[in-house]
Amino acid sequence: MALNAEQEVVRGRSSAGAPPQTSYTRKKRFNSKTALTMLAFMAPAAIFVGIFTYYPMISGSQMAFRNWNLNDLSDTSWVGWGNFRTLFENPEFGTIVRNTIVWVVGSLVPQVVIGFALALFLKRKFKFRGAYQAFIFFPWAVSGFLIGMLFRWMFNAEFGVVNDLLMKVGIIHSPVPWLAEPGFAMTAIIIANIWYGVTFFAIMILAALQSVSDEMYEAAAIDGAGKIRTFFSITLPAISVTLGLTILLRIIWIFNFPDIIWAMTGGGPADQTHIITTYMIKITQKGDYGQASALGLIVVFTLMLFAAFYLMAVRPRKENR
Amino acid sequence: MKKKLTAITALGVAAVLALSGCGGGSKDAADGKVTLKMVESLTNPTRTETLKTLLAGFEKENPNIKVDLISPPTDSADQKIQQMLQSGKGVDVVEARDITIGSFGANNWLYDMSADLKDWNGWADLTDNAVKYSKQGDKTYFIPYGFYGLSLFYRTDLVKDAGFSGPPASWTDLLEQSEKLNQPDANKFGYAFRGGTNANSNAVAIIEAYTADQVDVENAFLLKDGKTIFSAPEAQTAMDDYLELFKKGSPPSSVAWGYPEMVQGFSNGSTSFLLQDPEVIATIKESTSIKEDQWSVAPLLVGPTGKAIQPVGTAGWGIAQASTAKPEAIKLVKYLSQGEPATTFTKENSLVPILKSAAKDPFYSEGPWAAYVKMNEQPETYISAVQPRTVSWWTEWIAKSDGELQRVITGKMTTKDLLASWDKFWTEKMAG
Repeated sequence: MALNAEQEVVRGRSSAGAPPQTSYTRKKRFNSKTALTMLAFMAPAAIFVGIFTYYPMISGSQMAFRNWNLNDLSDTSWVGWGNFRTLFENPEFGTIVRNTIVWVVGSLVPQVVIGFALALFLKRKFKFRGAYQAFIFFPWAVSGFLIGMLFRWMFNAEFGVVNDLLMKVGIIHSPVPWLAEPGFAMTAIIIANIWYGVTFFAIMILAALQSVSDEMYEAAAIDGAGKIRTFFSITLPAISVTLGLTILLRIIWIFNFPDIIWAMTGGGPADQTHIITTYMIKITQKGDYGQASALGLIVVFTLMLFAAFYLMAVRPRKENR
Repeated sequence: MKKKLTAITALGVAAVLALSGCGGGSKDAADGKVTLKMVESLTNPTRTETLKTLLAGFEKENPNIKVDLISPPTDSADQKIQQMLQSGKGVDVVEARDITIGSFGANNWLYDMSADLKDWNGWADLTDNAVKYSKQGDKTYFIPYGFYGLSLFYRTDLVKDAGFSGPPASWTDLLEQSEKLNQPDANKFGYAFRGGTNANSNAVAIIEAYTADQVDVENAFLLKDGKTIFSAPEAQTAMDDYLELFKKGSPPSSVAWGYPEMVQGFSNGSTSFLLQDPEVIATIKESTSIKEDQWSVAPLLVGPTGKAIQPVGTAGWGIAQASTAKPEAIKLVKYLSQGEPATTFTKENSLVPILKSAAKDPFYSEGPWAAYVKMNEQPETYISAVQPRTVSWWTEWIAKSDGELQRVITGKMTTKDLLASWDKFWTEKMAG
C-alpha cells in the first residue's frame, strides 16, 4: 500500500531518529520574515507578468468599450457595447464562427489520431529511433507563418507541387484551384495545420506512454488481453489525463492560431476562410483596435467557458472508498 | 535581515524594469556617440544590404553617429513601425510610405522637418515630383527615396508568335491578346491577374484609365465635378471589362494571387503579361526561365479615352516625433536623399529616381526603363495624378476593397454593387 506524502515524511524522519517535534518546529519557522523573503523572490516574476500580461489585457479590455481607431485617436470616447454590436451585426460573423469550428475540429481530430499512431510507433525500440524522433518533431520548431508561406506555394494551382504530384499519379486531370475556391482553400489550410500539429501530439503522447509501467502490459498479457483490449483497457486509461489536457491545450492553440491561414489565404478568397483570430487581424489592419479588442474579449471568454466545461467533463472521477 | 530583503526586492524590481525598458533610447552617452535606430518597411535581403552599405558610408562621414538598422519582415513591418511610433521608443529614423503617412501624421507620431530643411541645398537637385511629394500638406514628414509607377511587362516572343504587331497599348488590347494567349490546358495564361492582397490597385488603374478625361489630378479618386470615379458610368464598363479579363485571359487561381504569385507567374513563363512597378525589373532579370530578349516593358495601358492615369506611389525617410536625436536623424535623412547614396538606392531597388541628374544616366534611358522615359515624355497621355493614399482611412480602404473585389471575381457580388459600395465609402469619407 502506498503511503501519502505526509506519512512518508514522518516515517523517513522517524527512521532517521529525528525528534518527533521536527514538523512542528518547521511550521513555526514560517513567520512574517519567511513570507517576506518568499514575496521578495516572487516579486520580479509577479511584476514581469503584471506588466507584460495583465496590464495589456486590462488595457485591451477597456479599448473594447471605446472608439479606438488608430487612424484617428483624437476621439476615443466610450461606446458601451457598440463594438460588440457591430461585430454581431456583421453578416460575415456567422461564416467566421462556422469556419472557426471547422478549423478547430478539422485540424484537431486528424492530429490526435495521427499523433497517437506516431507515438505508438516511436515507442517501439528500433535502430535510429532518436533520429526518426528528431525528424518527426521538426515541424514543431518551424514558425507557423513560414509553414503557411511554404504551403501557399505548394498549393499554388499552376506551379505548386501538390497539383503536379496529383496529376502525375493520375488522381486529378486538371489543376485544382486550391486557394482560389473557398471549399478547397479551407481544406488546404487544414491539411497544413494537421502537418504542423501532429508533432505536438506525438511528443506529448509518447511522453505519457513512456510513463505507463511495463508491468501493467505484462499483467494484461498474462490475463490474455489482445492488442485492442490492451489499448482500450490499459494504454488509453493510463494516459487519459495527459491526453485530455493535451487536447484542451491544442483546442485553445488552434483556435488562437491565425499564422497559417494568414500566410496561405489571408482569410480569402472573398473572406471565406477567416477564423475569428484572422478576422481580428483584418480589423486591426483597418485600424479599429476597439472592435478588434471586443473580438479578443469574445475569444477569451469563449475559451474560458469551454475550458471550464471541458475540464469538468474529463475530470477523473473519485473512487469510492 | 530587513536590509537583505530590501536589497533582494530592489534587485528584482530593477531587473524587471531593466528588461521592460529594453529597446528604447537613442543617445548613447557612454562613448559620446549617438546611436540612431532606423526601421525599414519594404524589407528584402538585397535592399537591406544596400541600405547597410549606405549607412556604413554615413557612419564613416559622421564618426560620432552610429546607425542600427532594424528590418522587420515586410508583411508586418508597418504594424511594427506603428507600434514603435506609438510607444515613442526604439525608433529615430523611419521608412514612411504614402499609405501609412496619413495615420502617422494624424497621430503626431512623425516629426515635421520643414524648419530643419528650409535652407537645405539638396532641394535644387530633386525632381519636381520629389519636391512635390516631400510636402504633406504644409508639413514635411518624409523625403521620398524613389517612386513606384505601373507599367506593363510583356513577353515579346509570345506576342509576336501570336501575330500581334506589338504589346497591348490599351486595356482592350490586353483583353484581346490575353484571351488569345490563354491556354489553360498547357498551363499557359495571358494576364497575371491580381486577385489577392492589394487587388484593388489594378482595378482602380483600369477605372482611372476609363475616366481619365474627368479625373481630378489632385485626387485621382475624384472626378472634376467632385463625385467619385466609381460613380461614373465609364467605371461600370471598366469593371465589366476587367472581369472579362479575369474570366477569359487569366489563371483561375489568380483569385488568390498577390505580388509574389504575379511576379513568379511572369518570371517562370506561365503568364504573358504583368502590370507591376519597376522594382520587378531586377527580379525578372534574374529569371532562368525567360531570357532577356524574351521580355520587355511597355507603358501603362490606356482606356477608351486614349489616356491613362499614372498613380505615383512613393515612400521615404522620416523622423519619429519622440526621437531624442533629431539633429543627427536630420543629417541621415539629408545624406540618403542626395548625391550618390540616393542614386545607388534607386538603382539597386529599381525605383524611379528622385534626382534630376538621373535622366542623363543610360541606366534609365535604355532597356526596360525606356517605357518610363516614354511615359515621362508624354504627360498628356500618361497623366500623373495623386491618389489619396495619405488619408488616414487608406488601410481601411485596402482591406475593404480587396475583400469586395474577391467577392466579385468569385461571383458573390456584382460589379454594380461593388462600384456602389466603393462610391458610398469614398463619398462618406471625403465628406468627413
